[in-house]
Amino acid sequence: MSEYVVGDKMPSITHQITQNKINLFEACAIAERQNVHNDAGIAAQRFGTSQPIASGRMSIAYASEALRRFLGPEAFNTTGKVNLKFLRPVKEGDSVLVRGEVTEIAEEAGGRQVTVEVRCENQNGDLTAVGQGSALLP
Amino acid sequence: MADSKKLYSYEEIQIGDALGSYEYVLTQEMLDMFRESVDDPEAPFPTLAIKHDATAFELMYEDHTGTINAANEVEFHAAPVPGKVIRVTGRVANKYLRKGLPYIVLEASAEDEDGRLLERVRTYQLKKPDELGKKWEP
Repeated sequence: MSEYVVGDKMPSITHQITQNKINLFEACAIAERQNVHNDAGIAAQRFGTSQPIASGRMSIAYASEALRRFLGPEAFNTTGKVNLKFLRPVKEGDSVLVRGEVTEIAEEAGGRQVTVEVRCENQNGDLTAVGQGSALLP
Repeated sequence: MADSKKLYSYEEIQIGDALGSYEYVLTQEMLDMFRESVDDPEAPFPTLAIKHDATAFELMYEDHTGTINAANEVEFHAAPVPGKVIRVTGRVANKYLRKGLPYIVLEASAEDEDGRLLERVRTYQLKKPDELGKKWEP
């Protein structure tokens, strides 16, 4: 039986963004590898920005890490969900802090669905992404 | 996988359009690279960086517009195993105008060679990225 209650804080995690990490993330792709995330020229052409922007999926990975550690890998890796809406760009030199709070616990067949409101903030305290994650716990 | 790409057009792309299917072998190198990119030695889903839905789109369409990810929704069902073939199927889940700007929603699901459902992902793509670029760097 899960021991979570509404209002529980998810332990926060922070990641530093470097262009090398962005490039490694993009290098995992099996299709188009040069893109707005790792090519300043393409970013300038497509966005009009002065430097590449990290993929929002890196923030999905960070939120997933925080949720996996909080809710447990057994549950999160098999029933986990994470949804984020991206609000601000994240780029080299930024940090991403992931916070969360349990907002709902619903009884369901097979266990309790624990939902966590997730917020990602940069080093200035500005929100870069918001959303929620969840998992079905026994 | 598509034999030849179509030219992407918001007007012509339709909800429900198949993005085709493709398969690849997940390697230990891809998993290691992903884990290094996100500073998480236990991260189980390198599929996040492989970007199944966006890859399905790229394999089907030639796109001169570019994209900003407005949001992602991911479901985790089973951690992929290095050495296994992963099969991906994608489709256009939605398209809409919001504040006059065009969005498309891509969706993909992935199974491994044993038929295990691994992951479902949706990406909400703004297909006019220069608009946000102006906001980020006026």
